Amino acid sequence: MRTRKNKGAYYVVSLIILIILALLFLFPLYWIVTGAFKTGAEINSVTPVWWPTEWVTNNFEKLFSKRSAPLFEIGSLTGPVVPGAIRWLVNTVFMAVVAMVLTCITASMAGYALAKKRFTGRHILFTLIVCAMALPKQVILIPLIREMSTLGLYDKIWAVIFPTVGWPFGVFLMKQFSEGVPGEILEAARIDGASEARTFSSIVVPIIKPGIGALAIFTFINSWNDYFMQLIMLSSSSKLTISLGIATMQAENSTDFGIIMAGAALAALPIIIVFLIFQKYFTQGITMGAVKG
Amino acid sequence: MATLQLKNIKKIYEGGVEAVHSFNLDIADKEFIVLVGPSGCGKSTTLRMIAGLEEISEGELYIGDKLVNEVEPKDRDIAMVFQSYALYPYMTVYENMSFALKLRHLPKDEIDQRVRWAAEVLDITKYLDRKPKALSGGQRQRVAIGRAIVREPKVFLMDEPLSNLDAKLRNQMRAEIIKLRKKVNTTFIYVTHDQTEAMTLGDRIVIMKDGWIMQIGTPQEVFDHPANIFVAGFIGMPQMNFFDGELAKNGEKYQLTVNGCPVEIGESLQQALKEKDVPSKKVIVGCRPEHIELSSADNALKATVDVSEMMGSEIHLHLNCEGKDIVIRVPSTKLSAEHRGGFEFGTDLKFAFPADLIHLFDPETENNLI
Ligand SMILES: Nc1ncnc2c1ncn2[C@@H]1O[C@H](COP(=O)(O)OP(=O)(O)O)[C@@H](O)[C@H]1O
Ligand SMILES: [Mg+2]
Repeated sequence: MRTRKNKGAYYVVSLIILIILALLFLFPLYWIVTGAFKTGAEINSVTPVWWPTEWVTNNFEKLFSKRSAPLFEIGSLTGPVVPGAIRWLVNTVFMAVVAMVLTCITASMAGYALAKKRFTGRHILFTLIVCAMALPKQVILIPLIREMSTLGLYDKIWAVIFPTVGWPFGVFLMKQFSEGVPGEILEAARIDGASEARTFSSIVVPIIKPGIGALAIFTFINSWNDYFMQLIMLSSSSKLTISLGIATMQAENSTDFGIIMAGAALAALPIIIVFLIFQKYFTQGITMGAVKG
Repeated sequence: MATLQLKNIKKIYEGGVEAVHSFNLDIADKEFIVLVGPSGCGKSTTLRMIAGLEEISEGELYIGDKLVNEVEPKDRDIAMVFQSYALYPYMTVYENMSFALKLRHLPKDEIDQRVRWAAEVLDITKYLDRKPKALSGGQRQRVAIGRAIVREPKVFLMDEPLSNLDAKLRNQMRAEIIKLRKKVNTTFIYVTHDQTEAMTLGDRIVIMKDGWIMQIGTPQEVFDHPANIFVAGFIGMPQMNFFDGELAKNGEKYQLTVNGCPVEIGESLQQALKEKDVPSKKVIVGCRPEHIELSSADNALKATVDVSEMMGSEIHLHLNCEGKDIVIRVPSTKLSAEHRGGFEFGTDLKFAFPADLIHLFDPETENNLI
């Protein structure tokens, strides 16, 4: 048995390790955010400048002066003209939020059905889903592009939303959470006269809410960060996501790192906000996976 | 009217397990039926088929006059209390109890009235705004019952509702269920593995084993006249003692010997044996611990004391009778002052069977001879 004193030492050591790791992970973020406010000279200086001597906003001004596009285009309805970066941000948020919502709805329903419903072929279906989890994304990209262009979705934001929604891991995660819903509660609801839809929405969803929260944040981050998919599916300038948009700027100007830093800081912001909101569920989702294997 | 009729009901699970074989039972309106038997004997399966949670593989189930084999649980007009209580964890007690009524689109004030009445009956009015997590086991149990009674169902199904409670609470809730039954006055089907619950609650008891019905009868009937050795051993605590005996027909009279000692057969038993024309044969003799008497007669059976348990008003004596373990219950009032606290290990005793309180079973079929 560990003594009290040892336990204290253990605590201190793990705290130190965690702090070091946290600093390591935080550093790029720090570098980008401060970089966004540095002058060009300081960014390009050979000896690193740790803290901007002068905070400037002209990187952001430059970012927002480049190109312009309508805020949104829904059918023939178009929004007011705004800087391209704003449009990209709108595109990206739309993509990530819609992907998140659709994934949560479909994955929780599918996971619940796989966990709690007896139907023929459910074992095979589940095996297929697990196998799909093992497929590297690069393998399915080409078929996906062909699928999306056949559906007439190429170069539309839906082409990066739909492939994310059929996320096997989401179904797997929600199945694991749904296993924990006691069968007798579902039977009680059945006797009480609740329809399938009612049972799911009033009884199952509140129980698996932590799982849905975890899935929401996973999908949001995943979708936001899926640069490769966005790169392949989207091409016209006003359809781009923020990370794609920043990349195009890099190609045009002989790499103005100021704009890129500003764009990257902007791109990181929503994800940080989402993470802070769903943080509780995020950690639960990860530990859940650890316990259930 | 909520009579129930189970006709040749059978359950074969996926994978071929036959959990219930040919179950036949007629249940009268407002009757309290208890299904009892050891774990795995098919009680829950039977109850779940009545509820509509399991498909009936073969046979017919009538509630009232209506064949309900294919009817959804919600349309069978039943309510069920589960062993795990199965309360909806994210709803308050009030919401739990009103859920089914809301789904039936009852007017708000009627829902309120019914929930408050049920809460009053079960003494849980204080907890209506709490979530199940904030309740003790006994309180959750009451909520589960409350959720069922607000529905005013024709048939009330309960699957081992007390088995998650501690012994004291269980006794208390048992009494409450008897009171509750008077108040709600409907048909009850109650599943338990506990013979005490079965005896105290049931109008009639259905004793099951391995998916077969062993006996159906009132508590008195199954206690006084067990249909077979299984029922005889299952009902009654401590369980009935069994001895190998020899039954001989001697002209008009039957004579019984156990371990070479003659055992008197009462007049009514003589009569019954004669009517059935039972031949001379080996038999198994059963006698309940509370019926066996200590004796000093010369031809009484001999035994030695293994363990003597002082229970307060009586003593449970575990005896060794020619290699067989038997138990007898002796009221303290029948003992001399020196033995009121018990007997020493190894004490030699003699005991006898009262002529009218023995049971005779066929060793092959294990059925009661009469
Ligand atoms: N879903 C099921 N699939 C297969 N066999 C089952 C299932 N449920 C119960 N059984 C089997 O049926 C028998 C009766 O079970 P059950 O009705 O639960 O018994 P009890 O409630 O009397 O303890 C047992 O042998 C059990 O293993
Ligand atoms: Mg059971």
